[in-house]
Amino acid sequence: MSRRVCLAGGAATPFDYPMHLEPESMIANCIVETQHDIPDFHLRNLQFMVYSHFSVHFGKQLAPEWIVHDHLGLVGVPHFRIENGGNTGGSALYAAFLAVKSGMFDVIGVAGWETMDNVSQSQGSEFIALASDTRYEALAGGIYPIYYAAMAHKFMKENGLTEEDFALAAVKNRNNAVDNEKSQWYRGEYQQYKRDLTIDDVMKSRLMSYPLKRYDCCLMSRGGAFCLITSEEWAKKHADGRYVVIDGAGLSSCTIRAGDRLNFPGWTEMYGEGYPDMTEFAACRKSGEDAYDMAGIEYDKALKSIDVAEIHDAFSSSEVQIYKALHWCNKDNIREFVREKRTFMGGDLPVNPGGGLMGYGHPVGATGIMSAVECYYQLTDLTPKKHRSSKTYVKNANTGLVNSHAGTGTSISNFIFRRP
Amino acid sequence: MSKKTQKAPEKKPAPRPEPAPKKAVDPRMHPIPLKVEYDDKHTNDFRGDVKEVGFHFAGYEWSSKEQQLLIDLHYDQLYYWKLAELSKMGRGFLDGELWGTQCPRCGDKFFPPRVNCWRLDEELQRTDWVRLEPQGHVHTFTIAGWSGKSSLKRLPFVLAYVVVDGCKTAIANELRGVKPWDPEFKMPVKVVWAPKEERRGVITDFHFEPADGWKPGPMNPEKERIKELCAPVYEWVKTLK
Ligand SMILES: [Zn+2]
Repeated sequence: MSRRVCLAGGAATPFDYPMHLEPESMIANCIVETQHDIPDFHLRNLQFMVYSHFSVHFGKQLAPEWIVHDHLGLVGVPHFRIENGGNTGGSALYAAFLAVKSGMFDVIGVAGWETMDNVSQSQGSEFIALASDTRYEALAGGIYPIYYAAMAHKFMKENGLTEEDFALAAVKNRNNAVDNEKSQWYRGEYQQYKRDLTIDDVMKSRLMSYPLKRYDCCLMSRGGAFCLITSEEWAKKHADGRYVVIDGAGLSSCTIRAGDRLNFPGWTEMYGEGYPDMTEFAACRKSGEDAYDMAGIEYDKALKSIDVAEIHDAFSSSEVQIYKALHWCNKDNIREFVREKRTFMGGDLPVNPGGGLMGYGHPVGATGIMSAVECYYQLTDLTPKKHRSSKTYVKNANTGLVNSHAGTGTSISNFIFRRP
Repeated sequence: MSKKTQKAPEKKPAPRPEPAPKKAVDPRMHPIPLKVEYDDKHTNDFRGDVKEVGFHFAGYEWSSKEQQLLIDLHYDQLYYWKLAELSKMGRGFLDGELWGTQCPRCGDKFFPPRVNCWRLDEELQRTDWVRLEPQGHVHTFTIAGWSGKSSLKRLPFVLAYVVVDGCKTAIANELRGVKPWDPEFKMPVKVVWAPKEERRGVITDFHFEPADGWKPGPMNPEKERIKELCAPVYEWVKTLK
C-alpha cells in the first residue's frame, strides 16, 4: 500500500436547471479548464476513463458514457461507467483511486454529469425515487425528500434539534454559493434576492416534507465535472504545486430501505443494538472511520484534524446527520456544535465553502467530483482564483474531507485529501 | 502485464456425460417454476387511457436568437413485473391479508418480506411465510407537502414507517384518518384495505389508520406549525386539474 494516489487537477461546469450543453461538451469544457491549471496535461496522458453517471432515465439514453468517450476522441482507451446513486461521483473516484493504487495506471480521468433538466421537477423526483425499493416506498408516494424527512424528524427529536438548527446549514451553503459564479443558487434565485438568505426565508419556504422545507432541499441540476486521479510520480512531475494526496478513502453500504436498518445484524454486531436505526448514517460512519484509519486520524480528533470539508448536503438535515456520523460531534454536544456555527466560514471546520448541493447544485453523476474539485481548490490555493472573491477561501488548509452519499444513506464514501 | 506465452493444453474429446444422479436440492435454493400460465387475468383493469407507444415525438421548440433546438419526446413502457417468490405477498394484498416472512432458525420476522435470513452466519437460510396481524406502531413519520408526479393530488399526506406485528423492520405507507399534524411517534395503527375491486396486488392496496380508540393529543406549538405549513399545500392542490 505504499503507492500514493493524487488528485492533480479538475474542474466543473456551471450547474443549472435548465442549462444548454450536451454531456460531451460539458466534459470537454472541464478538460479545457483543467488544462489551464495543469498545462502539462494532454488528452494522450489518459490511460483509463472512469465515467460517473447516475440515471439513464434523464437522457433516455443507455450507456451515455459511450457517446462522451467517443466524442472526446478517446477510442482505444479503456473505460467504464460507475453508477451508485447519489454516491456515483464518490464511487467513481474510489474506482479510480483503486486503479492507481493497484499500479495498473498512472493517469485516470474521472468524468461525471447528469441532465436532470430533461424532465419536469416532479417527474425528476419520481425518477430518483426509482432508486428506492419500488415495490414498497416509491409506490406509496415516497420520494427522496420524504424518506429523508422521516429520518430527519426522528433525528431532530432524539437529538434535541429544531427546524431552525437544520436551516443553519441551508443558509450557510447557499450564502457560500454566492461567492461561486458557477453555482446554481448564484446563477438562479440569488439574482432575485441579491442578499443573503436568512433562517426566516427557510422557515417560510414551502413545505416539502416535515421538517424539511424547500430551502432545506438541494436542487435538481444539469452539469458536469472532471478530475485527474494520478500516481504521485506523475503529479510531482506534471502538476507540481497543483495536486493533493488522497491519504484516506472509505466506501461503505447500508440498506436500501431506511425501515430495514432498525435491527440489522451487520450493524448491531459492529456498533451495538439500536444503531443506526432510521436516524444515523452508519455507512457514513464506517466509510469515514475507514478513511480516518488510512489517513492516521483518530476519530475523537477528527474535528481538529480536518481544515475544510465538502459534504453531501442533499438536505440541511443530512448535513447535520453527517457531522455526527463523522465524529465531529455527538448526541451531547450536537446542538451547541450547530448553533455555534462551527462549520461556517471562520468556524473551526468550514463545510461546503463551494456551496454544496443546496447552493452549487446536484447533477448527481457530477456532484461527488465537484465536491472533490472544490476541496482540491482549497488545498492548492486555487479557490480565490476560482471563486468570485476570497470570502470562501480557507487559508492554510492542509487536510480536507470529501463526502459523497447515496440512497437513504445506502452507499457513502469519504476521502481525506492532504497537501503533499 | 505480460503477454501470455503459455501453450494451450491439448484438447481431449469430452467424455460422454453420465446421467446425472438425483442430487438432493439444497433447501436454501429458491425454486423456479418451469412454466407459469396466468389463468386469472386482469391486465386491463386499471390501464385507463395509457397507451404503450415507444418513442413519440410530441413537438419541438426553436430559439431564433440563441439558435437552440429543443425536442419534446414522450416515451412509454409497460413493464411486466413478476413477483415470483414474493407472489405470496402480492396475493395477500389482493385477498386483504398481510404476509411476511420469518426465519425458522433465529425467529426474526420481516415485513416487507426478506426471502433469506439477514444473518451472515446462517448462510442464506430461507425464510417461511407467516400471516401477520394487521396492526403495528409508528416508528417515525413525516408530512409530505410535495411528491412525485403521480402523488401530487393527494398532498398533503402522512407517510409513516410502521413496525407491523413485531417485525424487525418498518414498512412505509400512508397514514390516513388523521389530520396531518396529529400523528405521534409510537402511536398504534391498524391496516386498512382498499375495496376489493380496487386492489392491484401492490403495497398501496392498504394504508394505515390510527388503531381503534386512539385519540390525538391536544394542539401544541409544533402541531400549529405543521398546520400552518400545510395550509398553502391544500390551496395549491386545489389549483391542480
Ligand atoms: Zn435467521
